[in-house]
Amino acid sequence: MATAASTAAPFPFPSTYNFPPFFTPQPNNTTRHSQLQKWSSLIQAWCRHHRTYRLSLVDAVDTPLFHNAVLRKRLDLGEARAIVDWMTKSEEQGGGGQRAEWIVGAAAGGNAAPNSVAWIWWRRPEEWADVLTDWIDATGQRGVVLTVFELVQGEATVSQEFHGMDVEVMMKTLNVLVKRGKAQVFGNDGGEGVKFF
Amino acid sequence: MGNSSSSQKISAQDRAILDLKNQRDKIYQYQKRITVLTDRETAIAKECLARNDRRRALLALRRKKYQESLLSKTDSQLAQLEQLTGQVEFALVQKDVLFGLQQGTQVLQAINKEMGGIEGVDRLMEETAEARAYQEEVSQMLEGHLSTQDEEDVEDELEALRQEVAGPVDLPAVPHTVPQSPLPAHPDEVQEPAQEQTEAKAKTKARTPVLAA
Repeated sequence: MATAASTAAPFPFPSTYNFPPFFTPQPNNTTRHSQLQKWSSLIQAWCRHHRTYRLSLVDAVDTPLFHNAVLRKRLDLGEARAIVDWMTKSEEQGGGGQRAEWIVGAAAGGNAAPNSVAWIWWRRPEEWADVLTDWIDATGQRGVVLTVFELVQGEATVSQEFHGMDVEVMMKTLNVLVKRGKAQVFGNDGGEGVKFF
Repeated sequence: MGNSSSSQKISAQDRAILDLKNQRDKIYQYQKRITVLTDRETAIAKECLARNDRRRALLALRRKKYQESLLSKTDSQLAQLEQLTGQVEFALVQKDVLFGLQQGTQVLQAINKEMGGIEGVDRLMEETAEARAYQEEVSQMLEGHLSTQDEEDVEDELEALRQEVAGPVDLPAVPHTVPQSPLPAHPDEVQEPAQEQTEAKAKTKARTPVLAA
């Protein structure tokens, strides 16, 4: 589930992608900061375009995202890790506003090395929660019981942005809604349902 | 907003609906699996034909046929499940409607009770009619009283009023008698007789209202 089937339209890379120094860590602090920001938005846009929620860096370094075949430039794993690490930190910590989150333990997929798989939050669960609430309101489904599978894979949500979403991201989103008191998740493992209020 | 407080909002019906929907999801997934299988069988059949292996190709196509029959069976099951879910959800809506009707009826009944029931309204209406009849009687009695006793006085008052109204109309004739004199030296003297007349009228007028009342 690393990358959903890539969409027909090619991903429009920003102009900085064709700028060789973009692939080398910049020594100057200000330049470095702007470089990190550009990488962060590039990664988010890429993941959004390909509907990717969890990014495995080992796999990603060989994709066009980190590997510019035309320039014959690539971002090595360590640098990719540094960028994602920067993305995980909040802006107060001098980071990229928590636009990524390392996946630890079994969720990362077996015995993967730490800091190798990360959620890329091109929409944070809180933001997804708003999208979901809007959809529920627009379709008059308050008080209706829906299965999580239905939300992610159902025919009713095909036109929605959250269709085909990673189930774990959906669960995180639903948990945000539960905390807000707008939904209740129930049912046993694998057959979770949700009721919206 | 813990689990304990909000889990009460999940009723047994909700759980039943979830179970139904989970079954439906499972059938969906099963259908997906079968579709993948049938696609693979077609591919196998094509491959076998290319290798001129007619027997295996037939076998693959038979398997595909069988899987397709399974698919159509699950389709009808899916329809049944969806129908049932729809019915359950509709029944819940009906329950809500019924509840609303019940509430409305209760309120209506309470209001009716406050009004004292049909007998109360009847009694009230009767009392109102009685009171009105009584009032009518009184006013009729008063009317009759007046018409017999004070008919003459009323007639007199009418005459007095008529004179009062007609009086000023007669007045303009008076100035015509003294057109030669340059200006009325004592206007008071000319008006005095008229004043006396009105005073006399006022006296009769003052008497009549007392009687009328």
